Amino acid sequence: MHNTCGWLRFGRRMIWLACLTALVLSVAACSGSGDGNSATKPGQKIDMTFWSWVPGIDQAVALWNKENPNIHVTLQKIPSGSSGGYAKMHAALKAGNAPDLAQVEYQEIPGFLMGSNLIDLSQYGAGKYQSRFTPWQWKEGVFGGKVYAIPQASGPMGFFYRADLFAKAGISRPPATWAEYEQDAIKIHQSNPTEYIGTFPPGNSAWFTALAWQAGANWFGTSGDTWTVHIDTPVTEKVATYWDRLRTEHVIKTEPDFADGWYKDLQTGAIAGWVSAQWGDAIITGNAPGTSGMWKVAPLPQWTAGGTDSANWGGSSTAVLKGAKHPQQALQFATWLNSDPQSIALLIKGGYGWPAATSGYVGSSLDQPSPFFSGQKYNDVFADSDQHINESWTWIPTTDQAYQHLNDGFSAAVNGKGSFLESVKAAQGQVVDDLKSAGFKVSTAQ
Amino acid sequence: MSAPSLARPRSKDGGPVRQPRSRRRRGDDSTPASRVTVVGLCAVAAVYFLLPVYWLIVASTKSTAQLFGSSGLWLSRPQWFANMRHVFSYDHGIYLRWVVNSLVYAGAGAAVATLLSAMAGYALAKYHFRGREAVFNVVLGGVLIPGTALALPLYLLAAKVSLVNSYWAVLIPSVVSPFGVYLCRIYAEASVPDELIESARIDGAGEARIFRTVALRIMTPALVTVFLFQFVGIWNNYFLPLVMLSNPKLYPITLGLTSWQSFQDRQPELYQLVVGGAFVSVLPLMAAMVVLQRFWRTGLTQGSVKG
Amino acid sequence: MAAVHRRTTRAAWGFLTPFLVLFAATFLLPIGYAIYESLHKNSLSGPLGLGGSHTVFAGLSNYSRALGDAAFLASVRRVLLYAVVQVPVMILLAVALALLLDTVSARAVRFFRATYFMPYGVPGVIASILWGFLYTPGTSPVLALAGHAGLHPDLLGGGSVLWSIANIVTWEFAGYNMLVVTAQLQAIPGDLYEAARTDGASAWQIARRVKLPLLRPAIVLTTVFTIIGTLQLFAEPLILKPVSTGISNDYTPNLSAYNSAFANNDYYLASAKAVLLAVAAFVLSFGFLRLVGRRGGASR
Repeated sequence: MHNTCGWLRFGRRMIWLACLTALVLSVAACSGSGDGNSATKPGQKIDMTFWSWVPGIDQAVALWNKENPNIHVTLQKIPSGSSGGYAKMHAALKAGNAPDLAQVEYQEIPGFLMGSNLIDLSQYGAGKYQSRFTPWQWKEGVFGGKVYAIPQASGPMGFFYRADLFAKAGISRPPATWAEYEQDAIKIHQSNPTEYIGTFPPGNSAWFTALAWQAGANWFGTSGDTWTVHIDTPVTEKVATYWDRLRTEHVIKTEPDFADGWYKDLQTGAIAGWVSAQWGDAIITGNAPGTSGMWKVAPLPQWTAGGTDSANWGGSSTAVLKGAKHPQQALQFATWLNSDPQSIALLIKGGYGWPAATSGYVGSSLDQPSPFFSGQKYNDVFADSDQHINESWTWIPTTDQAYQHLNDGFSAAVNGKGSFLESVKAAQGQVVDDLKSAGFKVSTAQ
Repeated sequence: MSAPSLARPRSKDGGPVRQPRSRRRRGDDSTPASRVTVVGLCAVAAVYFLLPVYWLIVASTKSTAQLFGSSGLWLSRPQWFANMRHVFSYDHGIYLRWVVNSLVYAGAGAAVATLLSAMAGYALAKYHFRGREAVFNVVLGGVLIPGTALALPLYLLAAKVSLVNSYWAVLIPSVVSPFGVYLCRIYAEASVPDELIESARIDGAGEARIFRTVALRIMTPALVTVFLFQFVGIWNNYFLPLVMLSNPKLYPITLGLTSWQSFQDRQPELYQLVVGGAFVSVLPLMAAMVVLQRFWRTGLTQGSVKG
Repeated sequence: MAAVHRRTTRAAWGFLTPFLVLFAATFLLPIGYAIYESLHKNSLSGPLGLGGSHTVFAGLSNYSRALGDAAFLASVRRVLLYAVVQVPVMILLAVALALLLDTVSARAVRFFRATYFMPYGVPGVIASILWGFLYTPGTSPVLALAGHAGLHPDLLGGGSVLWSIANIVTWEFAGYNMLVVTAQLQAIPGDLYEAARTDGASAWQIARRVKLPLLRPAIVLTTVFTIIGTLQLFAEPLILKPVSTGISNDYTPNLSAYNSAFANNDYYLASAKAVLLAVAAFVLSFGFLRLVGRRGGASR
């Protein structure tokens, strides 16, 4: 009998232990989440968390922390958005422990708005900062007259090319039109069968989207209370057919970009060019240091000779997430981060992209000739490109899914099933379905 | 072919004992030619299993540029020490923290899981009570459900009680091992004699004490297996920490390395770090596998007998 | 007597309770919660649907969405195809390795067995990173060698990447499964061999007629675990995705569920997919156990 009691005591101790653990955990949990909008007393130290993956941003944050000892920002580096960063943010939002600030690319902003996951910054006076930023980039964060994100950087597009390899193939100047690009693709591959003018990345349809944008497509929009979707228009189909042709002629590669094999190709010259955005310079210089002095940059090839149409690939903002305890200070930090000259200088050094701040380019380290790019002052190309971006382009709350449909279609085409054109046509219906099943009103009327 | 027959080979200290005949070659009246064929086949298999490891060892000595620029099968400008220093110093030595985290998750998780499994398995084997088979069947069902199917709802639940993004989020699910309970039950049934329990009871020992002093000792080989099984399971797990954790300071190695991998397009030096980090994480565990492999055998047999 | 029984019953539940509480919390509750979530959906309000959202009952609509989703169904078919190939290959290899080692001299056995088992200690994620390098033209020494021989296999294309993944999984687990089989092999009484040899059986005949039939329990166990492992396929395709043109976001049911939850923010659909996955795993492995159980019973 005595020993039964021993056992019982053991059991009871276990139960107590369990209860105690639960208590400690719940207390710990409660202390973590505070009141949503607690006012800060002057002199009181506050701490905010910021999730980003932008290289070099740690130095800008460090500078802020030095200058603002009372508004401390803790930077947590997360994987870039498409490689799991957004998944983490959505998970944290769902769990109610999201960071105060986060890196959000332009195409994702509506997606975050879907669950009211961004704080309206206009109520904290964000409007007065509008003049510091390029108008079209500012508009990326504005919905229904409210400001949800402070623009950071964009990706005006151009054409990086290996001048030496072009010359070897007997090409004296970069392609001014897409027709010339096609001819050059043929010439390069013919002069050396292991070389290609570039790759069509089937798993990265953001790239294709940007090229459709340049051609004058306007996939998404709103009309009153309804989202509109127009992907399968003649303009987009023209672009898809063009790349279908280059693919079936085997004059371009169809390997994934930003992958091991692609980096190797950049280094060895197996690809002689890259239609990319301004931030591509950091990718090339970082991953193919041995090709220094061989690259040049030209404007995007045009659909009509003499045109100047451009597009944007990848653009990013700083947003304040639902649950942030100090939105006022968060706005202050976000604005400083993206418009303060010292901060911009640090971000440029890290290769964050094209400054959204109007004062960002002139006089900065971007505004100089580069030995890597054959001594060219190559950013002039992008400065000009930034002026010619179709500003009416907008995004939808299910942009990610739209990209996925195109990725799947393009990958299937590359693997011998269907074509780019069919993928684009199919995407129209798929995107409409996505929006509908997420609960939105959708129209495809012109 | 029954469980009790397997209970026989057990030394007094509870450690696994090789059956003498397992040392001998068996069923062989083979010719030299067939012996050469067999060894040849074994060697081919060994090359297959060793190739990626060999590549990793070679790659861990290279710079990012050499990783792409030289043959993967041979050394090229080795800088192993510089690479290792870089792995451990990058981002304020976060890698070491990941190693420690992995050890905490796997070590603590497996230890608790083993204890819980031993208690539950022993109870299911040695006590007769109503509902015993029902409980066992439900636990068996747990063996058959893929852990990844549970991770998602677990995450949502953990979110409700504010446990996500904490050590507990990974540790708590890790201490539950239905397979461990299953193994422990089979082993206890076969190896813990009822008479021993009865005589201990007659001597006045309580149930908890009998478990502690009699059963646990006899069950040691199975417990070692459960521990190793769970340790490797947690160490290798990716899905659970992936959905549960967002703070890099809580990452295990697997998650940490993939996070480095996701930055490497902007920071090419991370290529080297991923390879170097993989090298550091893989070698000790592989060595442990080699040293500990004999422990796997005893317990696993128990599981397979009933299977 | 009754008192003793009551005492032991209480002790038994005492031993079981800590495990059962946690088992309930990490197995039963999540499954219940997943079922609950799978029966709901988000409803949007406000201008353009951006004004806010609340949860409403959805009936079985998430299940019909999952089962009507071509990509999800394709992922199920892909995993089944994969299982049909992977499971027998894995088991055959494990048994073959175990039988081979059973006829080699003791010192060599230890080296080979350790070598085969080693990859089990390599996490799937890291194994995938390693093999990813070995699959990529330009970084792979194996492909470089093949290139010298005039071969340029595309190991990461849509048609081949599934088998490249199968290779990674085989590499990781063949040695482990071999060990399970070996353990069973060593439990076979030696007199059986003596008897067979006296009857004039060759090594091959002994392996086939004596060892193989006795290995059944180990083979059943490894098969069940391989089936479950197959349905869990996640880390390998996720890691290979950036370097392959053949892996979509819905490549496996698991990836599909993960993607619905975290990329598309649709936890309700993701829950339905998780439930379907759990049910499928349960039915398949339980069905297999029943199948071999019945056949085994009949033959005895």
